Amino acid sequence: MKKINWKKEARLLPGYLIVGVWVLFTAVMLFWILGASLSTSREIYSGQIFKFESGFHWSNYADAWNVQNVSVFFGNSLLYSVISCVGVLAIAAPAAYVLSRWEFVGGKALRIGLVIAMSVPVIMVIMPIYSLSVQWGIKGRVLLVILYIMLRVPYTTIYLLDFFSTLSRTYEEAAYLDGCSGPNTFLKIMLPLVQPAIITVTIFNFMSVWNEFFMALIFTSSESMAPVGVGLLNIINSMKYTGNVGGMFAAVIIVFLPTFLLYIFMSEKIIAGVTGGGVKG
Amino acid sequence: MRKNKAMIFWFCLPALLSLVIMFVYPVCRTVVMSFFQVESVTATTADWSFYGLGNYFKIFGSASFMTSMRNMLLIWIVGGVFTLLLAMLMAVVVTSGIRGKKFFRAAIYMPNIISAVALATMWIQYIFQYDYGLLNTIVQLFGGDKVKWLGTDLKFWAMTGSFIFGSVGYYMLIYISGIEGIPQDLYEAATIDGAGKGRQFFDITLPLLKGVIKTSITFWSINTTTFFLWTKMFSPIDTESSTIVPVIYLYDMVFGGKGITQRDAGAGAAVGVVLTLIIIAVYLITERLFKGSDLEY
Repeated sequence: MKKINWKKEARLLPGYLIVGVWVLFTAVMLFWILGASLSTSREIYSGQIFKFESGFHWSNYADAWNVQNVSVFFGNSLLYSVISCVGVLAIAAPAAYVLSRWEFVGGKALRIGLVIAMSVPVIMVIMPIYSLSVQWGIKGRVLLVILYIMLRVPYTTIYLLDFFSTLSRTYEEAAYLDGCSGPNTFLKIMLPLVQPAIITVTIFNFMSVWNEFFMALIFTSSESMAPVGVGLLNIINSMKYTGNVGGMFAAVIIVFLPTFLLYIFMSEKIIAGVTGGGVKG
Repeated sequence: MRKNKAMIFWFCLPALLSLVIMFVYPVCRTVVMSFFQVESVTATTADWSFYGLGNYFKIFGSASFMTSMRNMLLIWIVGGVFTLLLAMLMAVVVTSGIRGKKFFRAAIYMPNIISAVALATMWIQYIFQYDYGLLNTIVQLFGGDKVKWLGTDLKFWAMTGSFIFGSVGYYMLIYISGIEGIPQDLYEAATIDGAGKGRQFFDITLPLLKGVIKTSITFWSINTTTFFLWTKMFSPIDTESSTIVPVIYLYDMVFGGKGITQRDAGAGAAVGVVLTLIIIAVYLITERLFKGSDLEY
């Protein structure tokens, strides 16, 4: 531990105040929501939430989970996120690999197309996608997963492409001399080498699908297939009639937790990924 | 290393198909559709009738579309100024050598990783809440009267304010990565020459961050033109003129909303094209304004 240089710290005081107030505000908000999620509606309205005079109301969570269907939304989101993350890797990783390795007809066009696609607003694609899905008779969960996968392909491919290009070609030459086929070399040698990049990009894909709202709102026709975002909106809208404020805050906490926990454990990796990947492009 | 044509083909095909089905074909179809009269989004091209610029005349003649554009412009300018300035302030503070740098950086970025629906709910149901909300508690502490933050007058600013809070962290990270890319010896030389911290910021940091600022303005523009979720959260059931934005207008027009008697997918497509043109225009303008900013040092 370095000795504290008080003169230096005093000079930095205004800075501490600025970020301190910001973070304090965030913390107050989160703690209050947590407290409210364990209180009754009456305690919340009378401002008594941190006394817990009537104990911790874990029943709010049970109520949110079972009665308000958060378990269904949560399961849906988990399903969509996990399948999409796997699916997008299956499509993006092979393409990223060959794009980083060889020059071929259309390769450059594909690469530029993927980069441009990363900044195409969803509103430009949503209407034709909607009519295509009706025309081809794809709907519900399957449709959402397919859309999420295709939506994340450009970002994932470009992100992995950068990492494949940093790998030396000597690996493949050695594998070739040993008689290993191209696809085998990719699967058994090259893919494990970009594992760190795969983990980072998967975290981002997971959070992005977990938090996706626009497409989910348009393409989920019933509550049974709604992911957490759309589900939470439904809960809030119906709360006006049920008056169960505590249960609503419990639902907020449940929806908030998965990505928050992921962040607690991996914030360094996530932050490095934010500015490392697409930003400079 | 031998070039394996079959492998290249099969490895690229799924990505190529995704790109074509999800992006290339839909974008082209949306652009074409904006010149046709199309009532239902599922109508086949046989039911389209050519309309020229009719859809564009229709949306620019619509009062609610113009209101939505005005709101979007306000979010873009006011929200943009506050978000980018706050992000710059946070980035400078976090990189100024304070203790707990990693903690502060992670905590300020945190709102970006949680579900925006959950974040908006926290603001609406707690911070701005009339009876037990944080702001009204503070107001009463100072002897003031409770304020209707979510009433018609203040709703737009409440929405913009909470959106700013949720956005600052992301732009802060962009600025931090820019600031950390500036060689430290520039500051050391400036200190020896007697330049104060403020002078150093305006004469070294800011000019060298031009490229990063350009990127952040482009991202902010994309972010505000596609603004949707926060309006949906602040006006969940009926669209209101105080919070309407173009994407909401498009959504109501194409997928149905209160007060829309006849759906109009063609007009929706025109809205999409207008927004995309705005993004491209902003990109080209900032590109020109910040020309030659990718300095090597």
